[in-house]
Amino acid sequence: MTAASTAGAKRVPTYCYQCVAGPDLFTVRVQDGVALAVDPDFCASAIHPGAGRICVKAYGLIQKTYNPHRILTPMKRTNPRKGRDQDPGFVPISWDEAFDIIAEKLNAIRAAGLLDDSGYPKVAASFGGGGTPQFYMGTFPAFLAAWGPIDMGFGSGQGVKCYHSEHLYGELWHRAFTVSPDTPSCRYVISLGSNTDASGGVAGVKRHADARARGLRRVQIEPHLSVTGACSAEWVPIRPKTDAAFLYALIHVLLHEQPRTRLDLAFLAERTASPYLVGAHGYYLRDPATRKPLIWDRQRNSAVSYDASGAAPALEGRFSAAAVEIGPDGERLAEGELVGETGFAKLVAHVAPYTPEWAATVCDVPAATIRRIANEFLAQASIGETVEIDGQTLPFRPVAITLGKTVNNGWGGYECCWARTVAVALVGALEVPGGTLGTTVRLNRPMSDRIGSVKPGGDGFMDYPFNPTDPAHWSPRPNIRNAYRTLVPIAANGPWSQALGPTHLAWMFLDGTPDGLPKVTFPELWFLYRTNPAISFWDTAALVDKMARFPFVVAFAYTHDESNHMADILLPECTDLEGLQLIRIGGTKYVEQFWEQEGFALRQPAVEPRGTARDFTDIATELARRTGLIEGYNAAINRGAAGVPLKTERYDFSLAPTIPHRRDEIWDAVCRAASAEVTEGAATDGLDWYKTHGFRTRPFPHSDWYLYPALERHGLRFELPYQERLYRIGQELGRRLHERGMTWWDNQLSEYQALPAWKNFPALWEKAVVQMGSKPEDFPFWLVTARSMQYAWGGNVGIQLIHEVAANIAGHGGVIINAGVAARLDIADGDLVEIRTPRRSTRGRAVLRQGIRPDTLLMIGQFDHWATPFARDLDVPSMNALVPLSLDLTDATGSGADLVRVGLKRLSGPS
Amino acid sequence: MEHIAPWLQTSWDRRAAGNFIGGGTGSGLAMIAAASALWSGNLQRPPLAVAALAIAAGLALVWLEIGRPWRFLHVFFHPQTSWMTREALLAPPLLLALAAAAWTGDGVATAFAALLALAFLYSQARILRAAQGIPAWREPAIVPLMLATGFADGAGAFLALAAADTFVLVVAIAAIIARWFAWTTYRRRLGRNGAPIGALAALTAIDAPVLLLGTVAPLVLLVAALVLPRLAVPLALAAGLLALGSGWLVKGVIVTRAAFNQGFALPHLPRRRTAGEESSAPKGG
Amino acid sequence: MTRWVMVVDLDRCVGCQTCTAACKQANATPPDVQWRRVLDMETGAYPDVRRTFVPVGCMHCDDPPCMSVCPSTATRKRADGIVTIDYDLCIGCGYCIVACPYQARYRTDRANFAYGGSNPNEAEAKCFDERRLGVATKCTFCVDRIDAGIEQGLTPGVDPEATPACVNSCIAGALHFGDIERAESKVSVLLAKNHHCRMHEELGTGPRIYYLQD
Repeated sequence: MTAASTAGAKRVPTYCYQCVAGPDLFTVRVQDGVALAVDPDFCASAIHPGAGRICVKAYGLIQKTYNPHRILTPMKRTNPRKGRDQDPGFVPISWDEAFDIIAEKLNAIRAAGLLDDSGYPKVAASFGGGGTPQFYMGTFPAFLAAWGPIDMGFGSGQGVKCYHSEHLYGELWHRAFTVSPDTPSCRYVISLGSNTDASGGVAGVKRHADARARGLRRVQIEPHLSVTGACSAEWVPIRPKTDAAFLYALIHVLLHEQPRTRLDLAFLAERTASPYLVGAHGYYLRDPATRKPLIWDRQRNSAVSYDASGAAPALEGRFSAAAVEIGPDGERLAEGELVGETGFAKLVAHVAPYTPEWAATVCDVPAATIRRIANEFLAQASIGETVEIDGQTLPFRPVAITLGKTVNNGWGGYECCWARTVAVALVGALEVPGGTLGTTVRLNRPMSDRIGSVKPGGDGFMDYPFNPTDPAHWSPRPNIRNAYRTLVPIAANGPWSQALGPTHLAWMFLDGTPDGLPKVTFPELWFLYRTNPAISFWDTAALVDKMARFPFVVAFAYTHDESNHMADILLPECTDLEGLQLIRIGGTKYVEQFWEQEGFALRQPAVEPRGTARDFTDIATELARRTGLIEGYNAAINRGAAGVPLKTERYDFSLAPTIPHRRDEIWDAVCRAASAEVTEGAATDGLDWYKTHGFRTRPFPHSDWYLYPALERHGLRFELPYQERLYRIGQELGRRLHERGMTWWDNQLSEYQALPAWKNFPALWEKAVVQMGSKPEDFPFWLVTARSMQYAWGGNVGIQLIHEVAANIAGHGGVIINAGVAARLDIADGDLVEIRTPRRSTRGRAVLRQGIRPDTLLMIGQFDHWATPFARDLDVPSMNALVPLSLDLTDATGSGADLVRVGLKRLSGPS
Repeated sequence: MEHIAPWLQTSWDRRAAGNFIGGGTGSGLAMIAAASALWSGNLQRPPLAVAALAIAAGLALVWLEIGRPWRFLHVFFHPQTSWMTREALLAPPLLLALAAAAWTGDGVATAFAALLALAFLYSQARILRAAQGIPAWREPAIVPLMLATGFADGAGAFLALAAADTFVLVVAIAAIIARWFAWTTYRRRLGRNGAPIGALAALTAIDAPVLLLGTVAPLVLLVAALVLPRLAVPLALAAGLLALGSGWLVKGVIVTRAAFNQGFALPHLPRRRTAGEESSAPKGG
Repeated sequence: MTRWVMVVDLDRCVGCQTCTAACKQANATPPDVQWRRVLDMETGAYPDVRRTFVPVGCMHCDDPPCMSVCPSTATRKRADGIVTIDYDLCIGCGYCIVACPYQARYRTDRANFAYGGSNPNEAEAKCFDERRLGVATKCTFCVDRIDAGIEQGLTPGVDPEATPACVNSCIAGALHFGDIERAESKVSVLLAKNHHCRMHEELGTGPRIYYLQD
């Protein structure tokens, strides 16, 4: 394409939010109604943390639009039999017929009642991970809100493919749904498998590249040398699932090998629960009158409430005080003159056995390396330094610890998150400039204001919306099939909680509900959008078998795929370059999205929809109309279901409630409200303004990247290191479950420890092999996965461009094997190999590399497609077929880890 | 040294090899025929015709390989530096001279053809030498190897086509010996200059055939032919075919199987900051 | 005099292939033709392994072997150092492809599109250039953008409209473009401040992509 040939092209500003590391802003070059190219939006370079650029995935959007495999008209299934081996017999139908069929089903459900006999919603919906489909589904959330109860807990990888422990415990401890270094000023990052340079999006890559140039040192600790490892100062190959041991040893070095005065003692005393006195039963000693936890005041030489003014808290020691110790369900365990030990002292004793020498045997990392890294971490923490931001003087602690996927989910995830957060707290690097930061909140409210979500709770900590576990309020009847509210108190009960519960349990329980839960049923109608659980979850063969038994499935379909193979109706919606939506941008978002602006950006049709594809908003409106929900639907939009409330004290752009509105009418109102919000009422520009300008922002205070000032303002403490509340909740949950004879969750209850001990986590996966009737030595390899920037999240497996460019990164075409091990097994590069568990096997081409532990294999992608055009011809293995859905491998948060023990053998030579 | 291992080029295939085989054999044959005529006073015309055909066939194969065959005249545009242009410029007069010599048996035409053939053969050698992307081609020792192989091929072809006199037998012996020296020198220098392992392996794989069937056997046969004049014709024929076949094998392998590129390599890596170094991080955000 | 060069900061590059994709799109190259791409290099033996990402493409050499071997004069070098190919002159002999030590050149004989071989989608149909079939192609440093940008008074390497697509797209800020003859250009400053090297420098081609080492 020459410059001359695109001379008449117009540029259409829009956004890309294919992955959680977005959004990023870009422009589409359009000529004669054809989208030719995407370009960075350099108009946004000053406001966007990635300088207005977009990652490789966005460059696939032109092909995505014109992919000849797209479904371009509604279709219905003609073969009533469902299954992988069945041809669905999809035939084109009109939109009218499609809406008729869906509305008839929905209206029949509505007439008979929204919940089934088990109390589960009859309508279910599954969306792709990370909430990104929300940025493409227009006003569909308003339809869902108008509908009523919907089961959104059939996962497609959520919980097992995410940073699950971090999501939940991170939000509890520091409003950290995800965790990031304060990269622009951090000096030393210990990254346990956090593959930021592949998963951190444009902002992450740019911030880390800038930081490296400035002198940031990142130590990457992981079983294989990832993209991020490649760009780090040092790679430490660690045995899979032993990261907690590494961190425990790091804490041991800080607490047992360095003078106490090198720690941030002021931070520990004032901003953490370190001085809280813990009684003999493991619960805080409390003031008998106020029930506030007690600390020992060195000045008064007596126990005082944690919030007593002018106290000089003792960090270490055993003290006697008039107190009460309250256990689960409000039980008074002890009362009178009680002896308590500070939480900090208990921590010191707790980590005493976890020496670097001990960890070396667990992690296969030399003790000297662990010790050196711990001491570098301490040295770089700059304890005592301060920095001024937005006129505030804040501590400056430029060290961070980040955790990757698999480190961070399944068994051991709690221990890793706890140890990470404790380690950074010991040097005062939690939520301060330079340090370890949370990014956004999804469980606490309001979601759009992380700092505003800091509200005082009990005991001097931030409030947290735990699901109740007391006898009066614990719910034995789950609201949805994955039972998050019943089993996972920390999952809370907000809009995101369903997908953050144990999402694989919904699938598992379909064929066998455990004792005590209402029988898990198939939903009568299931909506699917931007998700392909038949590929992206585990034990995919079993999952497909279950999907085939879902009675009625409506899939918003881009192309034919493995999940919509089971659908009854396929609906083609406008894809990225065809649809319209306004979203919030800026502030602090997932991963590394730290902005100094906040506001709104528009996604707008760069080209006309292909075929008869319809905008999602128009689909949602029509569904609402045909199900008689238009008033509730409009009301939801007016309340803010499209991202901005249409009516506040300052402005009113609300939609007339009783009539259906067209797409542009709805979004014009949303745009006006957004303009008013951003300009505090000064402007009320609508859709046309955003179509021209693309985005509108206002400054976001840099100091709001940090939680520390808000905690200081409220006089709150981080709930660390001792986990009295979690311990109590675990005890209560156990009682509730046992009262109903539910003992199958007992393993999970063992996670609720106030100071979590190291458990032999790797052995759990070896045990799983034994349980499948095989010998662990026949399955000597750990199979792990790694993030691919080219593929992650975008659903781009059918895009030729993405496939082509991803092939330049080693491993996309097969399974990565340590070259030395391969030589011993007589496996050459390109050989066809079989990777097997006792139950399943997959095959792929060997990719020999030096940058992987000899005991580890790596499969980057999830590519074993059999229906998706283009992807089904790729012939690349996926670990998802191999990983079992297993209650034994499910942790207390309802998560599992992307990990499985496998055997390996050569099948044949290169193709 | 950080590197991406070399891989085999696929741009020039057996058709290109065919040009080096046909061109080398034809030009070698033309020179041997001319030399033989000069020595014996007896010009054998069929070898000249075959030489022309061999050269033309090689060029035709190249013509089949180029992406825009009907623009073939553009090949003449760059005589200043391109050995391919020079080869192409030499081809028409060479073919004409050969045709004239074969047709008329004219000594001047023959001599002129031989001179052009030498230039043509040299151009072909330099074509490979100038291909900087392929270590096995850009090696300077490829020039004597290509020349010697051309002579040996030509001698072999002559022995196969015409009655050989002592002169040609001696020339053939000399050419085969020269080719062996050029071959071993070429391989030694390639190894010393760090040629790709795959290229060296491809050449090593034919070393034994080149030595035994392409060198020792024809030499023995040729010496036998000198010693046993009664059997000279069959012995020379066999020796000629062996010399020719092994020469074609050498060229075929060099142009196709040994044609590994250099891969990628950088002399220095980015200097990752190692743990323990003083950080230059500025303070604060 | 102007001499355009590219400077790659290897410490910044994460191998994401955004430049690869941006180049493919900007230049409408067919499948598997990558004028710009990023290599995933590994060296050493476990556990002492290094992995580095190295963007490569046409090096626009001072003494380009592709140009001297070209029999048709299709490959030329402009005064500003950019090595060009005249698609109307090239005969597609492939000699330049084997002469290039950087594997930067391609030849595609038949129209080939992302899906279904010879059937272009709307965007591909609009960008398709028949003149590129059967001839050598390679990175042009987006010469059309440079020329059009300069005509508008823009500065290549500074103004995105006048800068190669790969440089514009680079999310890590690893790719830089500019005039090495101007002391104040970004590339000159980077080269002056950092150690650097070039690919296969021993061949004497004078490649004009520089790799920063620190």
